[in-house]
Amino acid sequence: MAKNKVPLVEGLFTWPAEKPRLIGSKCKVCGSMSFPKQAYCPNPDCEKKTDNVEVVELSNRGKIYTWTVQVYPPAPPFKMEPFQPFPIGMIDLPEGLRVLGMLTTEKVDFGADVEMTTRKLFEDDKNEYITWAFQPVQK
Amino acid sequence: MKNRELAIVGMGLHKWGQYPDKSMAEMGVVAIQNALSDANMSWREVQAMTAGAYMWISGCTGVPGLLTGTSITTQLGRTGIPIANVVNACASGQSILREACLAVASGEYDIVCAVGTDKSAGGFFRPQSTDAKFDYDYYRYAMTGETNPAYWAMEMRKRMSIVGTTEDDMAMVKVKTSKGGVGNPNARYRRAFTKEEVLKSNMVCDPLRLYEICATSDGAAAVIVMPLDKAQKYTKKPLRIDACTMGSASYGDPTIILTYLSAYPRPGVLPYSESRNAVQAAYKASGRKPSDINVVELPDNSSWHYFTYLDMIFDVGYGGSEKMFREGYFDVPDGKVPVCPSGGFGAFGEATVAQGLWQVIEVGKQIRGDAVGYQITNNPKVGLAQSYGYAGNNGVAIISKAW
Repeated sequence: MAKNKVPLVEGLFTWPAEKPRLIGSKCKVCGSMSFPKQAYCPNPDCEKKTDNVEVVELSNRGKIYTWTVQVYPPAPPFKMEPFQPFPIGMIDLPEGLRVLGMLTTEKVDFGADVEMTTRKLFEDDKNEYITWAFQPVQK
Repeated sequence: MKNRELAIVGMGLHKWGQYPDKSMAEMGVVAIQNALSDANMSWREVQAMTAGAYMWISGCTGVPGLLTGTSITTQLGRTGIPIANVVNACASGQSILREACLAVASGEYDIVCAVGTDKSAGGFFRPQSTDAKFDYDYYRYAMTGETNPAYWAMEMRKRMSIVGTTEDDMAMVKVKTSKGGVGNPNARYRRAFTKEEVLKSNMVCDPLRLYEICATSDGAAAVIVMPLDKAQKYTKKPLRIDACTMGSASYGDPTIILTYLSAYPRPGVLPYSESRNAVQAAYKASGRKPSDINVVELPDNSSWHYFTYLDMIFDVGYGGSEKMFREGYFDVPDGKVPVCPSGGFGAFGEATVAQGLWQVIEVGKQIRGDAVGYQITNNPKVGLAQSYGYAGNNGVAIISKAW
């Protein structure tokens, strides 16, 4: 029987979902965006009222700003089993946010279109623990 | 400083390396003793102390590591003076020097010691909790696997695509800076590297190779600050502190600063704003210009840092420093403005809390002509030391010859 797929950290992206999206926040007054969501608008000139900030689901598509490959296993508390060198990138979302995330392939280029998916980090007896990742948009 | 001219009269180091059997407090005692000896001063004369608080406390040191300065006095001897322990990550050195400067400039104290001691040796830096609710550093790291070199590599790749920096340029950073480390008795790695060696070293995060990324080390540094007009009693070669400033990031900075998961770029806001803010504040406070600077110690954590910091220190725009670099402007020991003549982080390794003070000391040694074995040839009178810290904080000191 397939194991449950569970986000290692809850609340950062919509799950379960066919097309998962990162969960951020937006200031209703000035439009400033944050990821992860936060209580106050990050703009120093904007009034500090939690009512001004709403939780939003971010676009599941973006473009590659830059990327690299992590060749060596990062120390704990990072956990990926089995470890494989993994690509990681900065992705520009149409809302104007630049976000961090693993990529499914290093064969990408600046400005390439990507969409959000998930990938496994590790598993235990019950669950498979996942995070978000970006993959090239299938043409 | 506005209210009072300040001087560094004593500088002391504990050699960089790996010291698994030595406590941070012990290393701090060595650095302070060396600084006191340099200033012909006794510990009893010190009226206040600012200390860098160690960051990597979850694996070792715990609370005593946070209360670094307080811990040091259990061995140096408790004298009842005020001790403030300051956390500013890798920019701690300039941060605590700044606190010492403010304490003396205010007129409250005449002799203040700034000390940083650190045991960072041991590979990639990592979050200090597994709190998935409030430690954004933890969930950034656990969910994306972003190490510090991965961030630097992403920025380097972008820079190569825009500026045209080559793999040869990146390797030559190590070739040039490693020259200084050979003659420096306090360096951990005292050997010169060839371009071929660097280019053959393992890829850590494409395009950054192992020899283009600094190690992590143990080390300690201490500096004694006092009013310039009283400094002659303690030293023949006082170093004037022209400025000691800090910067934090600006809203709208387009880079995803380490420990965070996103950026919200705004028009007109340039990247690495904490570093720009710190260096611009230092020029403003000192009245100096980039062309006044004769020697630089910058945070060469990687080849990417080297070029990026030179762009900002010399105000030459994004990508302006590669051309000067290729022309030999920053060569060690005989360029127009030697950069990292100590050997830099490449030869020392990051000892996070101590490194900013160590950089100031290395600039000070070059100005005093005391860098025996690695003295630069341009007879420097003014120097700049800059450190880069986690999460958007940065420190700069400009010091000059005052005798």
